[in-house]
Amino acid sequence: MAVIALKDINKSFGSVNVIGSVNLEIADGEFVIFVGPSGSGKSTLLRLIAGLEDATGGQIMIDGKDVTKLGPAERELSMVFQSYALYPTKTVRQNMSFGLEVAGLPKPEIRTRVDRVAEILKLEDYMERKPKALSGGQRQRVAIGRAIVREPVAFLFDEPLSNLDAALRVEMRIEIAKLHQRLKATMVYVTHDQVEAMTLADKIVVLDRGDIQQVGTPMELYEHPANLFVAQFIGSPKMNVMPARSGGKSILIGKGGHIDFAATVPVGVTGLGARPEEITLVGEAAGDVRGTIDVVERLGSDTFAYVAVEDLGILTVRIVGNVAAMAVGQPVGLKFDPARLHLFGTDGKTIQL
Amino acid sequence: MSIVGKTSGSASFTRNRWLLTGVLGIYFIYTFMPLVYVITASTKTNPDLFTSFGLWFSSDFHLWQNLYDLFTIQKGIFLQWLWNTFYYALVSGVGSALFATFAGYAFAKYEFIGKRFLFALVLGAVMIPQTALVIPIFLMLSKVGLLNTPLAVILPSLVFPPGVFLMRAYINDAISNEIIDAGRVDGAGELHIFSSLAFRMLMPGITTVFILAFVASWNNYFLPLVVLNSTEHFPVTVGLAQWYASAVAGSGGSLLFTVVMAGALVSVLPVIIAFLIMQRFWQGGLGAGGVKA
Repeated sequence: MAVIALKDINKSFGSVNVIGSVNLEIADGEFVIFVGPSGSGKSTLLRLIAGLEDATGGQIMIDGKDVTKLGPAERELSMVFQSYALYPTKTVRQNMSFGLEVAGLPKPEIRTRVDRVAEILKLEDYMERKPKALSGGQRQRVAIGRAIVREPVAFLFDEPLSNLDAALRVEMRIEIAKLHQRLKATMVYVTHDQVEAMTLADKIVVLDRGDIQQVGTPMELYEHPANLFVAQFIGSPKMNVMPARSGGKSILIGKGGHIDFAATVPVGVTGLGARPEEITLVGEAAGDVRGTIDVVERLGSDTFAYVAVEDLGILTVRIVGNVAAMAVGQPVGLKFDPARLHLFGTDGKTIQL
Repeated sequence: MSIVGKTSGSASFTRNRWLLTGVLGIYFIYTFMPLVYVITASTKTNPDLFTSFGLWFSSDFHLWQNLYDLFTIQKGIFLQWLWNTFYYALVSGVGSALFATFAGYAFAKYEFIGKRFLFALVLGAVMIPQTALVIPIFLMLSKVGLLNTPLAVILPSLVFPPGVFLMRAYINDAISNEIIDAGRVDGAGELHIFSSLAFRMLMPGITTVFILAFVASWNNYFLPLVVLNSTEHFPVTVGLAQWYASAVAGSGGSLLFTVVMAGALVSVLPVIIAFLIMQRFWQGGLGAGGVKA
């Protein structure tokens, strides 16, 4: 198992700079997830760690050893690809054995290792099948099995679940979580799905346009996003963000709305963020701002009210359970909790009070 | 096409369908009439050939005698020609399919200096008819002393630019970069990835190029005509043309048009058989399942 360290890693394709200058330490046994929108450089960063792309500058260290110039196999990592990338002409057994055969392991040992992994992943009944005779979930399990048999120092996953349907994705997500508990291996995982990131990660790395925006545990990112990008990227539905300005010991929003604070709000505040569950619906008169209900979505466990507020647009409010007495067009007040609000400056960075 | 979106009952649909069938019918007649003529002509006696209707059999069925003559005239040289043709076509077909696969793989999967220029050269070569190159090839072969040897026909035929073009497009589609990356992560070298992972996935493409190159070489006339002069090296095309010329000149009855026709018939059969056999490998979808469906 391994510690992976990136030092000033950058990558350009021709004149296009896709990875700025990334410094990152991944601890032994840690489950780290790179998350970001398409084009954020998350897959490129993973391929740089894998050795499938050459870094333009910087160093990649695995367990203290500089591997920047080494090929993929010499780094002793395994990778699971988005498209599974199984060898179509080989059976499941041959797919899983290939890496070990290349490494020159004796046949009996290959057999025991492959059989053991097949048992873990419940693949025993499919060993002589070709990939095309397997379902999507089975193919993904073979791809994971192929990664495990090599007993790598760390696992790399490149959006491994994005080709599966919703139900299977949840199932495989849980399997990967179990696998991590069982193997206690270092895992680096790329996804654009923030639910996967929140549920699986020990540590999330949020990337945008080739730069790390924030590194932290899922709850750190959720509760204390470093900037507007992270605030809006993590959490579903998205955080409500509205223009705001300081009014001394209060913050002014929209038309005549104000929220009182205990401390003085700095002058530099230009934006206010509130997660849907950080806003409560109250009577019209009791609210910090007033609006009318635009749309109501009832999910059973939660109800989402989309409230149109003059000058602020549509704000999302989450209410636990199913609230019967709510009608479209109904005027309501919105109450903010000053202790849980997020304040942003002009540069998009979070301002702490 | 205007057919799309029209119901099968509409007048314009019916009209278009008849039109298409008609065009196809004309093409069918155009393609098959010479073949029918070859078949009927090879069953006739020489006098019948000129007196009976060309597209139907005459009363006297003379095929077996014509075939007997074909394989016995000039000590059975025809069999030698048939073998030569097969040998040239097989070696050229296998060779050019392999070279096209190597080159296509490099063009499809690697970045290297001069890639665009080299591929432009390949495209350019597709457009130049081989006939135009025969004289330079003749001069080169004569310099290295390979004239009038089997290599004089085989070496130029190993280069098959349309095959490179086809294989590049095919490899782009058939082999995902992720499979190559997976092989690299598994520790396989580039040659190993090509030979043990990619090659099998490319069989349908390789077969296609092989058939095209095989047929091109089988039918090649001008190149062997120019670079060969001993009868024992001739392929069927050149040999039959020589016989035909003697028949026209009136060679005292030993060489008849009907024998030439029987020779033409026999020379077509192996190509048809090759097509039927290779069709089995000519299936797409070998890559299915390796990457997302």
